[in-house]
Amino acid sequence: MRARETTVRVGGIDVHAWVGGRGEPVLVLHGAGGNRGWTRWVQQVAEHFTVWAPTHPGFGQSGDAEWMEGIDDLARFYLWFIDAAGLGRPHLIGHSIGGWTAAEMAAMSPRSIERLVLVAPVGLKPEDGEILDVFYYPPPRLLGMTVHDPRAIPEWDELFGRPPTPAQAEIAERNREMTARLTWKPYMHNPRLAHFLPRVTNPALIVWGREDRIVPAACGEQYRRLLPGARLAVLDGCGHLPPVEHPDAFARLVIDFLGGAPRP
Amino acid sequence: MKLYYFSEMPHHEFPDAEGEQYPSLRLEFPNRFFDPERARANYQRYLDEYELADQVGFDGLMLNEHHSTPSCVNVGVNMSAAVLGRITKRAKILLLGNILPIEDNPVRLAEQIAMADLISGGRVLSGFVRGVGVETWWSNTNPVHNRERFEECHDLIVKCWTSPGPFRWEGRHYHFRHVNPWCLPLQKPHPPVWIPGTASPETAIWAGRRGYTYVPFLVPFDVARELFEFYRQGAAEAGRPVTPGNLGFLICAVTADTRARALEAGRHFVWRMGPTLRGPVEFFSPVGMRSRAGQRFAMRARPRSLASMSYEELVQEHFIIAGTPDEVADRFARVQRELGIGHLLLEAQESRMDHPTTMRSIELLGAKVIPAVAAL
Repeated sequence: MRARETTVRVGGIDVHAWVGGRGEPVLVLHGAGGNRGWTRWVQQVAEHFTVWAPTHPGFGQSGDAEWMEGIDDLARFYLWFIDAAGLGRPHLIGHSIGGWTAAEMAAMSPRSIERLVLVAPVGLKPEDGEILDVFYYPPPRLLGMTVHDPRAIPEWDELFGRPPTPAQAEIAERNREMTARLTWKPYMHNPRLAHFLPRVTNPALIVWGREDRIVPAACGEQYRRLLPGARLAVLDGCGHLPPVEHPDAFARLVIDFLGGAPRP
Repeated sequence: MKLYYFSEMPHHEFPDAEGEQYPSLRLEFPNRFFDPERARANYQRYLDEYELADQVGFDGLMLNEHHSTPSCVNVGVNMSAAVLGRITKRAKILLLGNILPIEDNPVRLAEQIAMADLISGGRVLSGFVRGVGVETWWSNTNPVHNRERFEECHDLIVKCWTSPGPFRWEGRHYHFRHVNPWCLPLQKPHPPVWIPGTASPETAIWAGRRGYTYVPFLVPFDVARELFEFYRQGAAEAGRPVTPGNLGFLICAVTADTRARALEAGRHFVWRMGPTLRGPVEFFSPVGMRSRAGQRFAMRARPRSLASMSYEELVQEHFIIAGTPDEVADRFARVQRELGIGHLLLEAQESRMDHPTTMRSIELLGAKVIPAVAAL
């Protein structure tokens, strides 16, 4: 299924997005590493759903949003985005800081979304352990800590195998800056989120890699406890990037959970 | 040209092999190596050295502040300024400075600087700095806000000093509903403001617009001249003249009775060029702290890190000046000619340079060098 790139103007910001597929709309919110585009798992999900994969403001090819101060601002922004893009009531998938954003959106406006998929989301203070300080390490070292086994990643070469071009390096730096803007303090969590989540009754799937060294996998259990309609799937041999590390298994989980059948 | 005495108040009382086991002496080197007994003695000693510098005729006594590092245990520049304000008599007290972006309460800062100015009888030169990244980690301040917070914190401090209270401040980063400090500086309209620089063109331009004294730290002459050009650009925009009194420069310097002894003492400065600056780039320049323009200038301005230079090269390039009083005076005159500055800041004690060596250097600088360069 081929995708197209588009721009949606929301709240004065031009938001770059990948769009493709067929069926009910699914909004996909990327993690701190940025929008990786029409990757393998997205292609599989797009066989069953219309996937919208926007690039967060301040990231990649989207416009600046220096006024934003936290993930709750980004969550409000994506509730506007749903309206601006005419998505109706989409399913929502978010990874890492995108997962935190999705959780905040569900807490703010549970009726604006259908089903919720949270993939290794930050956002809660771990009851045990700590969220790795991703700003403390050089990016190459951080990548090594982010995935469990690079050799097992089918798209490794195309996603990470080549040294970045100057333009890509500039975008990576910009992505890191915006991540810092949104998540610096309290670091990668909202102390109030745990009070909001019990009001979110949407069916929810939480996906975690058992070997996640960025966010303790035990946080998956915290999310499951707090979200009344949630179940937790833990992938073995997987770090912080389940959609990239196990794209086929991840896509299968998502398609089954969202109940997608191909639409004519 | 005016000379200023400066010590970072180091705490280098641990085996170097211990420090080398950690990624950096800053942030990571555990404070179990901090020795309160040695620190107690060090503070007395460092203050004695400042006191002597005042007595022998230094124009100013410079203080700085760092955190979470043995390279500088002056953790409160306004505290040490207040002490110097009381124990010294005539030299200016140059705070270089208060680290504005990491401050959550600029009003308290305005009060503390005012109090030091009052205790010292109006001798404070109030430097404001953006800090190195280490202080951003230490204070957990978002680095992407560094420059915005620097400027807003500055604006509020100056307003505290110059606008009658009570007033309200509702900014982006600072919010105070009732500002009315009952402690105002003796100097009017306020203590002179100094700004250091190493690589940010924006800072030089910003300082130039305001006519603040601008002081590059430990950069090659050509980089200092380039930064001074940015400063002049800012000054021209505001229609301000630039005199040597607007420009300063910081180097490391020591003298002794013989050249050999001075060169031996000068080796202590190598510690601050390498080991104390060792660490991941993220520690010193966390993401977003520097603008892209600042980053590009820094890449260009520092083709070689100080850490990669030998002692002899550091001496050759004027980062360290060590010699007899006559030799040192000649080199200072050369720096003055190269840069056209009115203020030369001397980091004149470092690492394990002992008390007698430091005191003798201060005496000789006062007796022979200060008179020799005063008329430059």
